Amino acid sequence: MISRSPSLIGARVTRVEDARLLTGRGRYVADLDAPGAVHVAFVRSPHAAAHVGRIDVTRALAEPGVVACLTAADLAPLARPIRAESRTRGYRATDLGALASGVVRHQGEAVAAVVAESRYVAEDAADLVGVDWEPLPAVTDPRAAAAAGPFVHADLGTNVILEREFRTGEVEPAFRAATLVVADRFRFHRHAAIAMENRACLAAWDTGRGDLTLHSTTQIPGMIRDALADILDLPGHRIRVVAPDVGGGFGMKTILYPEEVAVAAIARRLGRPVKWIGDRREDLLTSSQAWDEQVDAELAVDGVGHILGLRATVLCDVGAYSMYPWTASIEAVQVISFLPGPYRVPAYRGAVQAVATNKAPMGPYRGVGRPVSAFVVEGLLDRAARRLQLDPGEIRRRNFVRPDEAPYRSASGVVWDTATFAECLERACRIADYEGLRRQQQEARAAGRSFGIGIASYVELTGVGSAIPASPGADISTGTEGATVRVDASGTVTATFAIASQGQGHETTLAQVVAGTLGARLGDVRVVHGDTAAGPIGSGTYASRTAVIAGGAAVRAAEAVRDKALVIAAHLLEASASDLDVADGVISVRGAGDRRVTLREVARAAYAAGRRLPHGLEPGLEATRYYDPYFGTASGATHIAVVEIDRAVAAVRLHRYVIAEDCGRVINPLVVEGQTIGGLAQGVGAALLEEVVYDGGGQLLTGTLLDYLVPMATDMPPITVEHLDRPSPSTLGGFRGVGEGGTIGAPAAIANAVSDALAPLGIEITELPITPERLFQLLAVC
Amino acid sequence: MKPPKFDYHAPTTVDEAITLLSRYGDDAKLLAGGQSLMPLLNFRLARPAALIDLNRVEGLAGIREVDGQVRFGAMTRQRAIEFSPVVARRLPLLVEATKLVGHLPIRSRGTIGGSIAHADPAAEYPAVLAALDGEVVVRGPRGERVVKPADFFQTYLTTTLGRDEVLTEVRLPAMDGKAGWAFEEFSRRHGDFALVGIAAIVAGDGARCTMARLATAGAGPVPVRLRAAERILESQGLGDAAIEAAAARAAEIVEPDSDLHASAAYRKNLTRVLTERAVRRAVTRLGGR
Repeated sequence: MISRSPSLIGARVTRVEDARLLTGRGRYVADLDAPGAVHVAFVRSPHAAAHVGRIDVTRALAEPGVVACLTAADLAPLARPIRAESRTRGYRATDLGALASGVVRHQGEAVAAVVAESRYVAEDAADLVGVDWEPLPAVTDPRAAAAAGPFVHADLGTNVILEREFRTGEVEPAFRAATLVVADRFRFHRHAAIAMENRACLAAWDTGRGDLTLHSTTQIPGMIRDALADILDLPGHRIRVVAPDVGGGFGMKTILYPEEVAVAAIARRLGRPVKWIGDRREDLLTSSQAWDEQVDAELAVDGVGHILGLRATVLCDVGAYSMYPWTASIEAVQVISFLPGPYRVPAYRGAVQAVATNKAPMGPYRGVGRPVSAFVVEGLLDRAARRLQLDPGEIRRRNFVRPDEAPYRSASGVVWDTATFAECLERACRIADYEGLRRQQQEARAAGRSFGIGIASYVELTGVGSAIPASPGADISTGTEGATVRVDASGTVTATFAIASQGQGHETTLAQVVAGTLGARLGDVRVVHGDTAAGPIGSGTYASRTAVIAGGAAVRAAEAVRDKALVIAAHLLEASASDLDVADGVISVRGAGDRRVTLREVARAAYAAGRRLPHGLEPGLEATRYYDPYFGTASGATHIAVVEIDRAVAAVRLHRYVIAEDCGRVINPLVVEGQTIGGLAQGVGAALLEEVVYDGGGQLLTGTLLDYLVPMATDMPPITVEHLDRPSPSTLGGFRGVGEGGTIGAPAAIANAVSDALAPLGIEITELPITPERLFQLLAVC
Repeated sequence: MKPPKFDYHAPTTVDEAITLLSRYGDDAKLLAGGQSLMPLLNFRLARPAALIDLNRVEGLAGIREVDGQVRFGAMTRQRAIEFSPVVARRLPLLVEATKLVGHLPIRSRGTIGGSIAHADPAAEYPAVLAALDGEVVVRGPRGERVVKPADFFQTYLTTTLGRDEVLTEVRLPAMDGKAGWAFEEFSRRHGDFALVGIAAIVAGDGARCTMARLATAGAGPVPVRLRAAERILESQGLGDAAIEAAAARAAEIVEPDSDLHASAAYRKNLTRVLTERAVRRAVTRLGGR
């Protein structure tokens, strides 16, 4: 048995990237210089829907410093439209040009690109572009739009671009047999991602080589490269996509955006580097948005609270386009995939319609669908518990999939490799002193105060392998990642991945995995990522996959390098490889610590070769390995939110928050806590603050951060996070994903806490966010 | 989000600023702390031909006590007010209100004159000016005039300030040392503009209320003195019933609008609740500090 440096995996190591990210020394797209770069400002539609008539660029072109002013007709020969295909039956793809031609379908869609020597000049000139708009009736109500025209895409003849249904067991008999059926219409409003760094890209066309380099704020450099090869009709190896330091993505940057195509095409046309730094207004108007569902759901239970059946109809407003690569299915289908939650649901029917409207397109956002599923099913469970006079913890205990039932196939067909759900609940209750909180609640109620405790349990599928496409039916590979681990002749290690980081700490966690597996010192491992020219093939960072899939590839590649290092060390030490230990960059003979070589000496031998290597051994000390976890692994948690309501002003105050989560083997507790608390903040936003509002004409009313309210530090309660640390049996390394969990549990837990606080008044929350205005209206009718 | 082109002037005297204003007619904006103007420029919602920057004008900032008034140069930063010993002693209501203005970086740049001249009805300073019945000093080519709040605020973001005039000073009467005070506001998040804010000052003598001053932020197009509610307190005292009656009256007086964040009905409710809370808290501070 060969020892590793196992203590590195699981260590609370501070993040190596913070030295630059927290001191303002990160290098983001806006920080990158390219000699001779020109700047783009887009002319964007003020209308939600309009025919685009003549575009007059003469005044703009006359402005000093303007280099070019391009429209769809100029870019059409250089770039095909973006089209997200899917094999899903009944799915309808939508073409999205780099610039809109003929018709615009949401406010902010670009129809022209003004290229100038500075962004100031470009914006001045963009004001001078004359566009003959012929406004069309805006489609904004998805329910009406599902039933009849006008159609967002006239050629489709419908606004329903996707329908899907899951059905398990005998649903109608289950409802007939039920002692109690609880039902409600739930509304989860539209949300924006609000990454700290707006979207941006810089394209440079090397006219000598015929190469394109695109620096972009993307989470998916690999997928962007592959897509651009088709769209721009260039060989893949002529395109390099680099994601430098990127300030947040949350799924919103996992999409190929028209600006990326436009900037690349313009750079090729002009032969000059072209830079577009999106501003916050552009971000709010054009970056993908999230959620926006209406869910009619019913839960059937027996007299003691066992779930007999669940049925739901979901209407999802997916906005104007079905975005590449995920398609409009990504958000909509996830809701019905995860509605059964961590529970035994013997009979289930979930149906979803994805409806196009004249709003910004829908995309994946932290949690994708599952915050909505959890809000609905956790809300229904609490309603059932109230009617049956059961404690909300108890009704969950009675329905959780048990550990001995794993692997368990859920009612929607997802397989849970383990089921630590009850353990999460018990741990969370213990941390929160649940019984004590209930006593506090009784005292508060006796004093006329509204104090509430909300529980939400969830399970999600992370590190999804090739068996289950992250986006059903889409023609993309999302189940694999690679890692290259190379020890150079100086003895330091470079580990290269195709994933990209938007601040998650991959340069630390993946280094921990590599160093821990290889037996190197942590400081000797450098992680390189986010550059399609740099390493193995892969797609990027999304769907809570990096720790699992890139981490698994890292384990494999590091093991291969370690095994070869041991063979070389055995040769140098004249010992048997099986007698060697490796730790902290030193390989020694077990029981004879003075017989040792360093990793550096082994690396020198590996490249010097000759007699320093065993006869016939290939020189070099590096390995590239790929990993496919095939199914993926279950990650779950229980959240407990404690709230107090100031009824007079209709305000919710978050009093305390507890999370007990199982993300498998923890690579770095600090990073897991950062991910969980960050995710929680976005869940708090969803529950209480954040809402994208369009008016009936498709005009965005939340076009600034004065009106679109993200949570701030002062909105966060005291938080306790604990980890179960139960290694996954089905992934290499035992890791499970944890990037999204905080956001999944929080809206449900907070909604349940508010309902619990207001239970004496008969108020049950059905709509998020719980704004003061909404709460005021609810309280007013009591 | 880059501003359109504008001329930039940085005068060093008020007279120079007035001359520049006159030269541009209606087409220049004064730049004080820039906390509202710069976003408006960057969104291209404001497109003035010129910015006249007051930051280099001598003598426009500072806090002085004169004749029972505290006088603030228009360019006095909110952060300076927050920590001024004179303000803490003479105008504790203003200190409390200042802590509710935006966030630290905003208060570090933002000025009292800028906030009042901008006349955002949801801002705290106009409400304090109204509650204390202070004055603003305005200078133009025809000289100086002193304006009371009722004659200054016209409607949203609109005042009687002439296009060639500069607000140079804000004068607030020092508060009675025995008065109680409170500024209560409700905003979606800490530091946001108030959905409704209430400034309250009460003076009393046993259960008798000798003076009550109540003014709103966010409950209409201009800060509103709640005189009818004040009269209830002054005639009925500071007991629970009187406070509740005054608060109910306050909600009847205001005519708030509905917007994205709050309906008129909810703002009326907030006016009632916050008036009640502000008066109750002010009462706890009666009798000197």
